[in-house]
Amino acid sequence: MLTYITLAWRNLWRNKRRTMITVSAIAFAVIVSVLLQSLNRGSYEMMIDRMVSFNTGYLQIQDFRYDDEASLDNAFFYDEELRERVLHADDRIRKILPRLQTFMLAANGASARGAMVFGIDPEKEDRFNDLKGYKTEGRFFELDEQAAVLSQGMADRLQLTVGDTLVLLGQGRFGMSASGLFKITGLMDHPIREMNNQAVYLPLNTAQEFLSAEDHLTALMIAPERERQTESVAAALRQALRHDDELVVFTWPELMPELLDLMEFDLAGPRLMTVILYVVIGFGFFGTILTMTMERIREFGVLLSVGMRRVRLAAVVFLETLFICLMGVITGVILSLGLIALIDPIRLSGRAAQAVIDMGFEPVLPLSYAPDQFYTQGIYVFLIAMLVFLFPLWKLFRLNIIEAARS
Amino acid sequence: MAILKTTDLSKVYNPDTVPVHALRDVSVSIEKGEFTSVVGPSGSGKTTLLNLVGGLDKPTSGEVEVEGIRIAGMKDRELTNFRLHNIGFVFQHYNLIPVFSARENVSFIMLLQNQDKEKMQERADELLRAVGLGNRKDARPPQMSGGEQQRVAVARALASKPKFILADEPTASLDTEAAMNLLDIMQRMNQEQNVTFVFSTHDQRVIDRARRVITLVDGAVDSDEHRDPDEGATA
Ligand SMILES: Nc1ncnc2c1ncn2[C@@H]1O[C@H](COP(=O)(O)OP(=O)(O)O)[C@@H](O)[C@H]1O
Ligand SMILES: [Mg+2]
Repeated sequence: MLTYITLAWRNLWRNKRRTMITVSAIAFAVIVSVLLQSLNRGSYEMMIDRMVSFNTGYLQIQDFRYDDEASLDNAFFYDEELRERVLHADDRIRKILPRLQTFMLAANGASARGAMVFGIDPEKEDRFNDLKGYKTEGRFFELDEQAAVLSQGMADRLQLTVGDTLVLLGQGRFGMSASGLFKITGLMDHPIREMNNQAVYLPLNTAQEFLSAEDHLTALMIAPERERQTESVAAALRQALRHDDELVVFTWPELMPELLDLMEFDLAGPRLMTVILYVVIGFGFFGTILTMTMERIREFGVLLSVGMRRVRLAAVVFLETLFICLMGVITGVILSLGLIALIDPIRLSGRAAQAVIDMGFEPVLPLSYAPDQFYTQGIYVFLIAMLVFLFPLWKLFRLNIIEAARS
Repeated sequence: MAILKTTDLSKVYNPDTVPVHALRDVSVSIEKGEFTSVVGPSGSGKTTLLNLVGGLDKPTSGEVEVEGIRIAGMKDRELTNFRLHNIGFVFQHYNLIPVFSARENVSFIMLLQNQDKEKMQERADELLRAVGLGNRKDARPPQMSGGEQQRVAVARALASKPKFILADEPTASLDTEAAMNLLDIMQRMNQEQNVTFVFSTHDQRVIDRARRVITLVDGAVDSDEHRDPDEGATA
């Protein structure tokens, strides 16, 4: 085996320049494909990451009716017993986060706006999503204080600030009317753009009482140790809650399918580019293998004459094809990883930056390090190599020894 | 039993378009230890005959037997294996793998035969010494002269321990000195180790060294004479 590997390897360097050019072309295709994907996915990953930590959790427990009608009427009873059950459902469950959430009107006495009101536990939030890091002024409240923290956009619109009083108007559980006054203890810059204009945080206990929903939650957000454990932890949770026919478990892809669809849609462009690039590079690769085969027909004839089997000879040519493919992919992956690390995140400046800021985004383009964008390139190039290899394979198996010797 | 025997061997190229009768009813028998030369002008069918007895091509009619085994009915894979274990080949040029050293070229055939790895190196070195290339073991074909390359090819043919060695015009692209040197080596192998050689040539000096000369004219055997090479050509 070693001899065949040596033979294939040395054969590659019979024409150094040709091999180098082919390898570089493959590496180039890999780099461009990875960068295109990485740039496109980077922003989505950031969005998803924020949505997961601020809005949904990797997993979430809800009342089974809540998905159809997101109303306080469909909140669920949450006590120590349920908490224990969830925590013990799977030892990969690291954090849980209780929330009560509803839509209300927020007013300053003169004008009013729609607000998404969250009853939260600031300590637990902070462990889950570093909430306190986003505070811009004042402080977060105690669990049963009659207080509120406003997102910056909401505060601006209502022209309220720390120390002012916020009025909340709306309905509690089962149509109970709910209206109250809350002292603003702090302001925060919410990392999700839409939320920054409508989020109002209240202490969980205060919110439950205010909304006639004592001991009730609309969602229990859950984080496993690692993202990829989401599905198996979901399965364990469903098992643990199987006698509770009111409660359902959702995973984050189930909770925000639109975002994932949008990402897929946005990746279609780079994928098409990748395909075109690979078709071009594939022809170059094919050309190299074609000439490497044709210029050695006589040599192949001699080897078959002295008794080398066609499959063994094919194996040598296969190794040659594989080596070119591997060298191209490995170089491409290493260089693209290096490039990503070097330029991530891309900070926009000047007018471009201002345009992005005006649209309400950060002027930063994050890049993705998702491993699949690297190995999918490897798979693509390998498939191309297999396709390219068909030619020498076909040539070898119909090679006539006598004609090869005369060529 | 004859080591190699042909019976009414014929070959017609392009039978459907412009038929070329390259070989006509050739029946010869070669014994172990012979040093036979197939001679004749260009186009007389020497290469065709060697290709057929070497199992590289199929006859139109007639039989080839190697130690009584008929090779006609063998499938491609079987035939390849048969060649590997029974026949040594030396061609006019491009015999060697250019990226392998002399020693690697000789070892390679033993590797194909699955010979004992331990002994391969040793045997390759020994054979290269025997063909006078003891100090050129690590040279690769592009660094070797034509004569050296042909000697490596002979060493490779010997390495597979074949029943006989077929050499199609092995000296045709060599100068006189290299050609005589190659012939000396082949002759010594024949005398010392009783290796059977069948080689084709149209070079009179090479013909003079053979102990049996089969002459082809237009694809048919014109004469077949045994002689003592020391006496020179005594037709
Ligand atoms: N593959 C082939 N197709 C057609 N004709 C061939 C082929 N090989 C050899 N011939 C013809 O067969 C005859 C014998 O050729 P060959 O055996 O090569 O002779 P030699 O080796 O004695 O020069 C020649 O007329 C040659 O042109
Ligand atoms: Mg010839």
